[in-house]
Amino acid sequence: MLTPSYVAQQVINALNIGSIYALVAIGLTVVYGILRLINFAHGDMMTVGAYVALAALTALAMPAVAALLIAMLVVSALGIVIERLAYRPLRGAPEVAMLITSLAISSLIQNGATMTLTAQPRPVRLPAELTQRISALGLSFAVMDVIIIALAIALMVALTLFVQRTTLGIAMRACSENVRVTQLMGIDVNRVIAVAFAISAGLAAAAGVLWTGKFGIVDPFTGFLPGLKAFVAAVIGGIGNIPGAMLGGYLLGFAEVFFVAFMPPEVSGYRDAFVFVLLLIVLLVRPSGLLGAREVNRA
Amino acid sequence: MKRLVPLIPIAVVMGLAGLAQSALNDYYQRILAVIAINVILAVSLNLTNGYSGDFSLGHAAFMAIGAYTSAILTLPVRMKAVVLPDLPPWLGQVELPFAVAVVIGSGLAALVAFIVGIPVLRLRGHYLAVATLGLMVIVQVIALNWQPFTRGARGINGLPPFTTLLWAYGWMLVTIAVIWRIVHSSFGRAMMAVREDELAAACRGVPIFRTRLLAFVCGALFASIAGALWAHLITAITPSSFSFLITFNVVAMVVIGGSGSITGSVIGAVLMTLLPELLRRFETALAIGGQPLYGLSQIVVALMMLGVMLFRPQGLMGRRELPEVLAAMGIGVPTRPSRVEAAGEKTAQAQTPG
Amino acid sequence: MSRISGFRLLTVSITFAALAAACAAPPPAARPPAQPQEQPTAPAAETIKIGALYGVTGGMSSIDAPGLNGMKLAAKQINAAGGVLGRQIELIAIDGKTDQTATTNAASEMINVHKVVAIGGLNDSTFALAAGPIAQQAGIPFVTAGATLPTLPEQIGDFFFMAPFGDDAQAYAIADYAIDDLGAKTAYMLVDQAYDFTTALAKFFKERFTGRGGTIVLEDIYKSGDTDFSAQIAKVKALNPQPDVLFISAVPSEAGLTTKQFRDAGLTQPIISGDGFDTPLIAEVAGEVADEVYYSTHAALDNPDPKVQNFVKAYTEEYGRGPENAFAALGYDTLNLIADAIKRAGSADPKAIRDALAATQGFNAVTGEITYQEGKRKPNKSVTIIKVQDGKYSFVKEIKP
Repeated sequence: MLTPSYVAQQVINALNIGSIYALVAIGLTVVYGILRLINFAHGDMMTVGAYVALAALTALAMPAVAALLIAMLVVSALGIVIERLAYRPLRGAPEVAMLITSLAISSLIQNGATMTLTAQPRPVRLPAELTQRISALGLSFAVMDVIIIALAIALMVALTLFVQRTTLGIAMRACSENVRVTQLMGIDVNRVIAVAFAISAGLAAAAGVLWTGKFGIVDPFTGFLPGLKAFVAAVIGGIGNIPGAMLGGYLLGFAEVFFVAFMPPEVSGYRDAFVFVLLLIVLLVRPSGLLGAREVNRA
Repeated sequence: MKRLVPLIPIAVVMGLAGLAQSALNDYYQRILAVIAINVILAVSLNLTNGYSGDFSLGHAAFMAIGAYTSAILTLPVRMKAVVLPDLPPWLGQVELPFAVAVVIGSGLAALVAFIVGIPVLRLRGHYLAVATLGLMVIVQVIALNWQPFTRGARGINGLPPFTTLLWAYGWMLVTIAVIWRIVHSSFGRAMMAVREDELAAACRGVPIFRTRLLAFVCGALFASIAGALWAHLITAITPSSFSFLITFNVVAMVVIGGSGSITGSVIGAVLMTLLPELLRRFETALAIGGQPLYGLSQIVVALMMLGVMLFRPQGLMGRRELPEVLAAMGIGVPTRPSRVEAAGEKTAQAQTPG
Repeated sequence: MSRISGFRLLTVSITFAALAAACAAPPPAARPPAQPQEQPTAPAAETIKIGALYGVTGGMSSIDAPGLNGMKLAAKQINAAGGVLGRQIELIAIDGKTDQTATTNAASEMINVHKVVAIGGLNDSTFALAAGPIAQQAGIPFVTAGATLPTLPEQIGDFFFMAPFGDDAQAYAIADYAIDDLGAKTAYMLVDQAYDFTTALAKFFKERFTGRGGTIVLEDIYKSGDTDFSAQIAKVKALNPQPDVLFISAVPSEAGLTTKQFRDAGLTQPIISGDGFDTPLIAEVAGEVADEVYYSTHAALDNPDPKVQNFVKAYTEEYGRGPENAFAALGYDTLNLIADAIKRAGSADPKAIRDALAATQGFNAVTGEITYQEGKRKPNKSVTIIKVQDGKYSFVKEIKP
């Protein structure tokens, strides 16, 4: 059973799913870093992105790349609007207040989609050149799988460069160190936070399009579970930290795939429990995640 | 004489519960029972999330422990032989009264909370939130896989419908009374001191870890009672009964009512139980073009959660309790304003982002 | 400060209370007067209220919503034809929200507030086991439209009826089909661990398949909500020799997902399953790779039988799209079955309806003939085998019990 090609195939599988988790986790982390907000509606932004792309693909017959860009743009705009209406008024309130509003937003998106679009899952069909299979050395994967990994890494690199090199990116990092001091330095904090939300939502949309494109299906609850898992991934890596979120996403992908791949079914039923035990161990050994900086005691 | 004052509301509530039990139809009794269960959940979650300042998302895990324990212990032996034939004989042969099963379940939940709490409570803030969320997933996965005890996905059904209004409201009063006493004792003040400023609390000799752990264990204990009551109200439990949705609902109750106020938790629980139920009637009544608006009640509840958070982020009650509000309006018995709470109000408002 | 915010607090609470009071207005008043305009004879006759209990929102909605549509269609047709016993049928449809508390509340509200004489609906045993006992306790007949756990009627009691066949029947049918028609000797099993339905189906399949000399070469699991099956698939691909058939015990949301991923990965053996696979999603998601998929279910919508075609036509006219899955037909059958029992009972008394239901013989439903044998409240219906080929669904075989 444990032939090299079997192991290699499972590594490819893990990289694939891990890339998407990593994308979602990064989006969460960007916002968390600045606002200390666990955004439970983040996964639902994936769902919205997927529906927008689906509409662009089918109703407007757009090419896949255009559909992806449209979805990212629309959802980024939605992210800014939501931040303005639901999170900005809450700055300065207790941390959990924003967490609760994000739960409310999540419920709004899920039930709004159920009401207007029905809960019937919809098929997402990508052009044939994307779903084509490649078989080599006993391995098998789709063109889409390669694109997922490449696009995820490209987006992550772009984001890292943005945060490291641009003024706005530096302002974002400054905000995540200390919002008030940043403000005193003459930086328009509102703009920085709006940009962070736009980036976060755009990444979620991209992940949503990749996810539904890979699996071929979307319904109003599509993003919720990946969103929650990505949250775990972000915490494992050290929430608020971009490389950490990436690492966490890939670790989660590997843990999920390998647990099924190398354990008998009697044991693999405990997969989700195992993932969380792993999380607990990581947190206990390194309380701020694998790559997280030690958090200053914020009393 | 004054010491007897608290007995009056207790007598009134139990009297009303007894009256309702004999006069109301099953539907209204059911709603009232759900309210009582939700009050227990919200008030007990408030102990950690509101008072000791540890944000927990694991309440459903302790509910599940209470529900499964009580289900296994109270199921008639004859049924158990059919439903759970693989139970060890010492469990298969017992059939305990409801109250005993509830107490054992809560003891078990408290024990689990104690064992889990020792490592997990080393974490703070959102890390603790994820860890407790993880606890819930772990309990769910165990319920799904531990076939001889839980029957896996099939769950346990046909539970005796023990949860009457008297039981539900009786346990609710016990919960409120015990937690009220805890919060207004020196231990409660220790909890709030830890929440407000750990360093200062430690300097004054408050045992930080022990205080937080005890709050967590107490919360778990009462959550387990609510779980058992719920199990014997619905009469069928499966692992998926104890999901994120329940936890989120309870968290919303606490936050809407006001973290750090028992009165607030009660109000939050009542509102969040009644509103969806009442709004559901509009879904069919407001049918547009003959198409009922299913999902409307969830949307309105979500909008109201948003509204409360935006206009009153500290929750409806903030950190005040009923007697203080009454006193502020010039009604009722004046109570000593607690210094810690007054201070808490101020810091909550002074908190800044980041 | 404390006084002012006390005041604000009070206003907020009063708004809530006012809103709550407004909602608490008794529902019959809020509901527009039911449709008694064209009642033929007795103008004063009250409507017969029947509960339609489905999880129209939440996880079950993709199969429960079509079920409710089926029930509504049946009610409309019955009423257009003059109703039952000269009275119109009024469906009391309350959303169970795919939540046990909400579902039990809804059942209780139907019985105690709306005074329904019977309830139909629910497609999953988790919810049927919670709501059924409430109807049983109140002496109101409950017909489950699509929950297929065979022991439901015994577990809940003599007021509980099943409109569909049991999981045992459909699992045996597909196992027999795999052995007799597909020539399978070995099988791979992938089982969703999260549902009662999927685990029971797998258990019965395994029992029959191995009982008839077949071998299960590998048994694997997943949990509903999983979307990525690549790890499980790689395990199957590593098998040598390959299994003859792939049995996948899944609910509709994972039916399309698994088919697509198994086929994409190059596994070409027949995929077999039960009525969880009865969803257009297989063809929609898997597209041209949806080949050699066989499943057992309640009805074939391309069955030329006029009763099936009339239903498909009426449903399409009413909702502007064809029936989404067999659960639409089951909902339709459920209400017709209840109406038929009321007619035969000659009364809308719950007890009389129960007795008439129990005596149902050869009721001609879209999903096959329903007969309740002496003391049994689960029909011995025929099982239909459907094949998906090139993304098209076609009827292959009807297996009579």
